[in-house]
Amino acid sequence: MNWLTRTIHALSPNCREAIRLQSDALERPLPRLQRIGLRIHMALCIWCSRYSKQIKFLRTAARHCDHDREPKQGLPAGARERIKQALEAGKKQLP
Amino acid sequence: MQAGESAEDQKPPELSDPEQWVDLHGDYLFKYALMRLRDPARAEDAVQETFLAALKGGKSFAGRSAEKSWLVGILKNKIFDHYRKASRETSFTDLDFYADEESDRFVADGAGKGGWIHELGPVEWSPNPGAGLDNDIFWKTFQECAGKLPKNVSAVFNLREVDGTESREICGLLNISESNLWVMLHRARMALRRCLETNWF
Repeated sequence: MNWLTRTIHALSPNCREAIRLQSDALERPLPRLQRIGLRIHMALCIWCSRYSKQIKFLRTAARHCDHDREPKQGLPAGARERIKQALEAGKKQLP
Repeated sequence: MQAGESAEDQKPPELSDPEQWVDLHGDYLFKYALMRLRDPARAEDAVQETFLAALKGGKSFAGRSAEKSWLVGILKNKIFDHYRKASRETSFTDLDFYADEESDRFVADGAGKGGWIHELGPVEWSPNPGAGLDNDIFWKTFQECAGKLPKNVSAVFNLREVDGTESREICGLLNISESNLWVMLHRARMALRRCLETNWF
């Protein structure tokens, strides 16, 4: 291996390390060398490239979480009644 | 209609009527609380406390969605209070879940050590993942996969990814270290990604 190839090998993480770095990159800026190494790896690795898109999609999906949608089941009937009664009692205590 | 206004905001302004709150907002608030507290009894208590606090607040709103946002804000604070209190009693750190980090999917040793075993690596997700966002079955699958995360990991994931809470605030709230937070998030993402890949894509 020439010096350039050796350098690239030294800089870039393996896949196990790369997926951890990708997760961390969603939390804080990575140190520069790590960022460069990760980019090199991602350019060369189709699986890590997919992984990156997929965990970013998880974030997008999570942000779209809509409680009007799922799950269908909401307040159980008993709970509904209890809360209404508590509210009634609460109203009577208002000045 | 202006951008950001829902059809409900177009109705003539009505004063908040506590009589209607439970029917209008109860389901939403309960689901919000249940996802985060994972316990129906706790969720019910949180919702009840929210309505009672709102009653004392005595505000009125010109639209249902503003009213709902206000109630969600109160509920969110109740949930945060719960987390703060719980974190003093038990640990929210969970380093056991998914501790092996799918080691069986990576080359164990030799020249390619640490690389994905090709047949076991992430596959291309199709149709375009974004298309799932409109699909009820996708959401059901997503919720089921998220529901498989153990309680503490789930709390961390929800706070960070659903609510967008900053890492520092999560650490303060749950009394966990930043490095443990990041490990838990990494493992939650791995697990969730894998579950979705298996069950949806």
